[in-house]
Amino acid sequence: MTYVVGENCIKCKHTDCVDVCPANCFYEGPNFLVIHPDECIDCDLCVEACPVSAIFEEDDLPEDQLNFIDLNAELAEVWPNLRNRKDPLPDADDWDGVSAKRDLLDRGAA
Amino acid sequence: MATEYTPSARAAEFLSKVVNGRYKRQIVNGLRKFIDNRVDEEMGTFYSKEEIANLISIRGTDRDIESRMPVKITRHYFDLAKNSLPIQTLVKASPKETFDLDGAEDPGKQMDYSPVEGLIHKYELGLIYVASTCSAHCRFCYREELIAGKDVERPDGTVAPKGLAQVGELVEYIQAHNDIVARNGGRHPKTGREKLREILMSGGDPMVLANLNLAEWWSGLADVGIEQIRIGTKELAFYPARFDQTFFDMVDEFHAAYPETKLRFMVHFNHPDEFLKKDDDGKYIDDPNGGLVWVDATKDAIRELGRREWITIDNQAPIIAGINDDSDALRIMQRELRRNRVENHYFFCGRDIIGHKAFNVPIEKVWNILNDSQKGLSGIEAHARLSITHYKGKTEVAAVANHPLPGVPGTENGFVVLKLLRGAADAPDRGKLCIVGRNPEAIWFSGYDDRVIYDEAGLFSHVSSGVTEPVAAVSTP
Repeated sequence: MTYVVGENCIKCKHTDCVDVCPANCFYEGPNFLVIHPDECIDCDLCVEACPVSAIFEEDDLPEDQLNFIDLNAELAEVWPNLRNRKDPLPDADDWDGVSAKRDLLDRGAA
Repeated sequence: MATEYTPSARAAEFLSKVVNGRYKRQIVNGLRKFIDNRVDEEMGTFYSKEEIANLISIRGTDRDIESRMPVKITRHYFDLAKNSLPIQTLVKASPKETFDLDGAEDPGKQMDYSPVEGLIHKYELGLIYVASTCSAHCRFCYREELIAGKDVERPDGTVAPKGLAQVGELVEYIQAHNDIVARNGGRHPKTGREKLREILMSGGDPMVLANLNLAEWWSGLADVGIEQIRIGTKELAFYPARFDQTFFDMVDEFHAAYPETKLRFMVHFNHPDEFLKKDDDGKYIDDPNGGLVWVDATKDAIRELGRREWITIDNQAPIIAGINDDSDALRIMQRELRRNRVENHYFFCGRDIIGHKAFNVPIEKVWNILNDSQKGLSGIEAHARLSITHYKGKTEVAAVANHPLPGVPGTENGFVVLKLLRGAADAPDRGKLCIVGRNPEAIWFSGYDDRVIYDEAGLFSHVSSGVTEPVAAVSTP
């Protein structure tokens, strides 16, 4: 069991989750965050903290986002660890709730 | 936004050697999982259908138990709970919790002593909140405002959720405080406090933090002259596998880097069912070599902590209705803990705070239970004292006498002797006594407001009862 960052984080990246994570298990890409599944301690704090409700317990992930489980695991091995909260992406509010953002995911380094 | 913290060169070298462990706590968060029956088969019956129905019926009302305290359990603790009613009472949500919402919000007036977010600097020891969650949640938790993210009022009247301490901000405060104390000949000019020598890391449970976070706290605190770091944790009960090799490697690297900074693990066992194995009949198992048989992971963790001579382990726990208001269980617990290098430090009376009526045991009854539990213990096994936290400081319930004190009005039904163990600031009233007439119903100091007989300690100086003579003579700091 782990927690998973889902699609709605893309192009928003608020990082409130990073502030509350006791295990520092968030990793940062250019326009998305992921959770390292082996470092997550299932505390549930980030779910509440996320202003755009992008984080789910693995079991609660919407059906069409199940591929984000593997995506989190894969990118957490590549991207750098993020320990401190930072400003969201400049047009985060405009992108909140926009559907089909997954094609806009930037896999490059942060 | 968190201020960036730059570790010292010494800390950086230590931190470079720290590796984070990987854990499988298998936590179940929220009642939802039980309601939707999305837990594994064995856990599916942990709540009966009736219990679930009752809990659902109060959802969204002011009696909602999940907004009081989120529901949370690890697989390890579930496995212990299966065969233990006391553990079930500790960890299972119940409508009883919100049946009576009487009580104060913050009877210890903690926020009066918080100079920096996440720090309570009341005694010579500083308390810091470093995590706002634990691996599982005790239903009787009195840090519910932190765990459930509730708003608290500050002395300046502002209201906000209680925040966590940040290492950069905290070490700056300690350094500044200790510099002032040093310049002033060993005492703070305003508060009379000595230098901060000891910090208690609490929360939440610091042991939910990654090794690297713990290491950063420890080295940061050691760098500004903290000589003892306490770690308040219930992880030995909830998830003892957290004390793994990566953790002890970190602990040993810390000791190599900071040999003069001692670690004091303040552990929290309420009941022996949390660490002893049981046979098929639900009985503890005699170890042919002596004592009783422990849960392996807990025994291993305590052995590893205990064999490092610069680490101490002390247990402290509240006495809670339906969990450990049982002198036989407490006797076994004190004996087994002491045999295994865990000192019995304090037992506490429950606090008179909102949502706690279901857990509270009257003070005089608690004293009798603990006293009975210590009959048959040797002196060193029976070190634990019964404590109740007064605004002025930690107070011992020293004795409950059943007979009148001849010639002293107010003692017709017996009396209770309270002793102030610690005081805030420079502890001017330490060791002073207070005697009150008995009230078998009392769960907090307020239960004695109308029957104070002698109050050298000034515990009731706010009450204008007119019964006491020494109150007026006691000087306040």
